[in-house]
Amino acid sequence: MNSTDMKDSAVKHLVLKDWRLNRMQIFLSMAAGVLALGVIQRGGETAFVVGGVWFFMSLILVGHMLPLVGILNERKKQNLAFLMSLPVSFLQYTTAKLLSTLGMFLIPWLTLVSAGLWLIESRGILPRGAIPMALILAFMPFVGFSLITGAVLVSESEGWGIAVNVACSSSYALVWYFLGKIPGLMSNAMAPSPVWNSAARNVLECEFGLVVAILGLTFYLQSKKKDFV
Amino acid sequence: MTDLAIELSGVGKEYRFFSLDKIHLQVPEGQIMGLIGPNGAGKSTTIRILMGLVHQDCGEVRVLGHSMPAGQVAAKWDIGFASEDMRLYDGLTLGWHMNFMRSIYPKWDAAYAQVLLKRFGLRQEQKIKGLSHGQRVKAMLLLVFARKPKLLVLDEPTTGLDPVARHEILRELTNVMADEGRSVLFSSHNTQDVEQISDQITFIDRGRIIDSMDKELYLDRWRRLRLEVPFGVQLPALPGIIGIRQDGRMAIVTANAFAPDLANAYERSGARVQRIENMTLEEIFVANVEHSREEVEV
Repeated sequence: MNSTDMKDSAVKHLVLKDWRLNRMQIFLSMAAGVLALGVIQRGGETAFVVGGVWFFMSLILVGHMLPLVGILNERKKQNLAFLMSLPVSFLQYTTAKLLSTLGMFLIPWLTLVSAGLWLIESRGILPRGAIPMALILAFMPFVGFSLITGAVLVSESEGWGIAVNVACSSSYALVWYFLGKIPGLMSNAMAPSPVWNSAARNVLECEFGLVVAILGLTFYLQSKKKDFV
Repeated sequence: MTDLAIELSGVGKEYRFFSLDKIHLQVPEGQIMGLIGPNGAGKSTTIRILMGLVHQDCGEVRVLGHSMPAGQVAAKWDIGFASEDMRLYDGLTLGWHMNFMRSIYPKWDAAYAQVLLKRFGLRQEQKIKGLSHGQRVKAMLLLVFARKPKLLVLDEPTTGLDPVARHEILRELTNVMADEGRSVLFSSHNTQDVEQISDQITFIDRGRIIDSMDKELYLDRWRRLRLEVPFGVQLPALPGIIGIRQDGRMAIVTANAFAPDLANAYERSGARVQRIENMTLEEIFVANVEHSREEVEV
């Protein structure tokens, strides 16, 4: 086996290890999201509100808990020193961590968001015009996930992790409020078909850009570090 | 020229309250180097630098021929590193950790791992959280030894262990060293452990390497002389003497380059040499540190 194969396999095994350690969390968050969608599908205003909040909470939960548990705990419980004794550099560790955490978040996120959109599209739980807004809202926990992942990786601090977690959790309602003020966004939510106007596109692009920028900045800052353990 | 497993040249690292002072350290292949220093001396910083976990501010680090930190991935395939502050995953079994290591290291020796399991009294099905401190250290060392590394770097592995567990681990370390091509850097503040297994000793204190040489040379060169000094006799300043403590007519002289001539010189000055004592490594370590600190203060 040459050194490149060895290097790749070490990174791969770090990713697989994270999946093994967090699979229950992924499963539970998906189960919670699916149950929430089940509640929404029962029909009625109460079921819709309870299910909708529950669904959004399950996305937030998986997005916030994964980096806190998977990254911070590893440092707090002194497993990081063990991992860094393996043939990986700190940048490779960061790559493995970003890949595994992102992958572990994307599986429930994509599954639940797709299921939610399918319910709107095929079961009519909401007018189809709500699809752009639903996507925008679903992207918010993704931004929160990226922020918390970046914060715990770069700061290596439980305090910062909790602070960013609290800040993100408490800003969702605020962001929601400001999104409602954007002309052409909420007004089209009850339309019979999705309206992909510039407002909707800009907000989605902004959210996606934030995710990419935060994860890129995280990688850059990690590459500048000189002390790791 | 002997190949070096570890070579540190002028390596420095500056922290707010501690600095590593351009240290030089060499560990030849096949040798066991004991790195002894008090708490906070810089042992762990030195080890983290040579593992590539902390980047030096200045100086060159080469480990198994690889320049560090740039070559750390290639170097770490052949390094078995265990430190006192390293922990396995609490919720997983020792067997899971063994499989994890086996999946990464092509040289993993499954048969030897089974032998170590028996020797250390461990079971694969045990979860790490159910193990005692001593068992956790043994589990960690099992994972390190069974990957058959060319270089072992052990940072205070015996800290906090009971005497029986310490003995078991040191015995296994001696067995591992039967492979003469293998090199070891073993840090500890417990001089007994280091004395038991090391070929060479390096003393480190306050970020400075204060002495480094063959263990037998230390034990040969260092002596304590008990002298009776009659009233009016002045002890001469002699080379190789690093400390004199005098209380009335009795004086204790510490020599770091003892030769029989030294005793004769004191006799000639009018003092009477009552006894010449060998020193333990711990006594040598303490005397060395005290002498080095006095020199720095002067």
